[in-house]
Amino acid sequence: MLPSGVFNRRPQQDMAIIRTGAQWVLLAGGLVFLVTLGLYAPGHWMNWLILVGVYAIATLGMHIMTGLCGQFSMGQAAFMALGAYTTAYLGTRYGVSPWLTLPLSGLVAGLGGLVFGIPALRIKGFYLVLATIAAQFIIIWFIRQQSWLGGTYGIRDMDKISIGGMQVADATPEFWWMTLAMVVIMLFIAKNIQRTTTGRKFVAVRDNDLAAEVMGINLFRTKLLAFFIGCFFAGIAGWLWAHNLRAVQPELFSFQLSLWFLGMIIVGGVGSTSGAVMGAVAIMLVDKAGPSLSNVVREAFPSLKYQVSSGLTLILFAVVVIFCLLIEPKGLYHRLERIKLYYRLNPFAY
Amino acid sequence: MEDVLAQGFLVGGVYALIALGFILVFKSSGVLNLAHGQAVAILSYFLYYMLVVWGLPSWLGIVLIIPLGAVLGVLVERLAVRPLLVQPFLSVLMMTLMVSFLLEGVRILIWGADSFVLPFTPRGQWSIGPVDVIPGTAISFVAAMAVFVLLLLLFRYTKVGLSMRVVAADHEVAQSLGIRVKRVFSISWALSGAFAAMCGVLVGMVFTVTPIMGSTVLGKGLPVLLLGGLNSIPGAVVGGIIIGLAEALGSHWFSAAKEVVPWIVMLVILLIRPYGLFGEKRIERI
Repeated sequence: MLPSGVFNRRPQQDMAIIRTGAQWVLLAGGLVFLVTLGLYAPGHWMNWLILVGVYAIATLGMHIMTGLCGQFSMGQAAFMALGAYTTAYLGTRYGVSPWLTLPLSGLVAGLGGLVFGIPALRIKGFYLVLATIAAQFIIIWFIRQQSWLGGTYGIRDMDKISIGGMQVADATPEFWWMTLAMVVIMLFIAKNIQRTTTGRKFVAVRDNDLAAEVMGINLFRTKLLAFFIGCFFAGIAGWLWAHNLRAVQPELFSFQLSLWFLGMIIVGGVGSTSGAVMGAVAIMLVDKAGPSLSNVVREAFPSLKYQVSSGLTLILFAVVVIFCLLIEPKGLYHRLERIKLYYRLNPFAY
Repeated sequence: MEDVLAQGFLVGGVYALIALGFILVFKSSGVLNLAHGQAVAILSYFLYYMLVVWGLPSWLGIVLIIPLGAVLGVLVERLAVRPLLVQPFLSVLMMTLMVSFLLEGVRILIWGADSFVLPFTPRGQWSIGPVDVIPGTAISFVAAMAVFVLLLLLFRYTKVGLSMRVVAADHEVAQSLGIRVKRVFSISWALSGAFAAMCGVLVGMVFTVTPIMGSTVLGKGLPVLLLGGLNSIPGAVVGGIIIGLAEALGSHWFSAAKEVVPWIVMLVILLIRPYGLFGEKRIERI
């Protein structure tokens, strides 16, 4: 909804993602804030920011698969692993440039998604969820078995990524800027997929796949495309994570991480692009709050030992998602829209 | 070889028992209860706690843990599942998943990474005819079969079972027939909680009580569930035995494959029969 007095006179105005001057100012201000954050944020927040960026890209993939096309996936972490291992293996073994493996990582993950997405034509709902859980376990098991992928030890000592001759290392401002750029690009791509024919087809399939088929949408192709794009995003996220850590191992891509991604799109709001990013930020804030809260709890109950931190993080995550499901089923994005609407209409209620 | 097959067959019974816990809730309320695994785990930890720390005799512990499980089931239903009655299925699925995280978190807070052997676990091996079997597995198999028959009778011949089936088919129709949908929900979740407690006793005996118990239960129960079909009681038993045998043979020939064999078997079956071996196909209309 546009503010009062703003009219779309040309098609370009109607299509614009960022429509008003105020939105441009907010966007520029936000970007400047995020970019300069790299200069003064302390080291552990820098790590956190980069991780949020990685997870946000993977969550955007989940958003396209689940939020737009309605194909639930509980295997996103495994598809991330495919992307991460592609770049790690090609980079350490054959010395392929990371920038060449960027599309390759996405492709490999996307192809993995296609393979496990094939059952999606005939099954849906619970059955599809369980098929994607199977994908998670089978892929990670496969990686763990292969000695050329380093087994449980993983692949270590990847080269630093270089941009125009400049080495970008682990948790530096440069890496954060690269992450930020990739998040913005992927966000832009996701937003535009949503507005094209493909995105409309996804939404039609999500809302009622039988009706969509009757309307002439090729169900098989659309569902597989959703899986491919969603897993492509996961592969890109895996690429970024691998280059951030400069090492990959199977434990990183756990089943639990896949569930976190699902939690992120629920907290952010199912079916909204910016909601996916907001969900990733919110859940990661909870994750960040876990250790400090566990210190308090540990002082209060000295009989509890080392396990407090992992237990509390789980409980916090569960409580936040349950809260969202019960109180805010449409997610943070919807709440933000309501707040914006309130101020736009103020002092009237409608 | 006979030992491998017999063991696989009996473990298949345990898997069937686990899958029956999921089916009980799914058949009566249409909810896939992903919290079942962690409920089993936390109840078995609590059982151990009662037996060893409080020093209760084994029979009393087992008698106490079953109503406790029922209470847990009702609590989960009242606090988490009932508010989401008309929500889309992702919300309900996510809710049960989060309840499972909550239970796991609580278990980690209290017991951490400790693992136990339940004190009443029988030791050694029993020879039944030509094969040697592990006693815990054999007892669980017998219990699974007994539960299977009881559940069949419940759903086929009792009024409660019939109303559960109606509620699962359509809430509105059930309500207009004078069935108290909420009451049926509570009953089925209480039953499922009691079931989880029983699984806790038996699975604790077979696999010992370890931190990964919850995910083991989930990881074995779900493929069995899908293989048999989500709402078929005989399907769970047949599926359990197929998965048990496949896993035993798979790990006999290729020892690393034990954990993925159930999933691969499940995927193959899903490609051939999308609704499982015995699942009923729902005809959808626009």
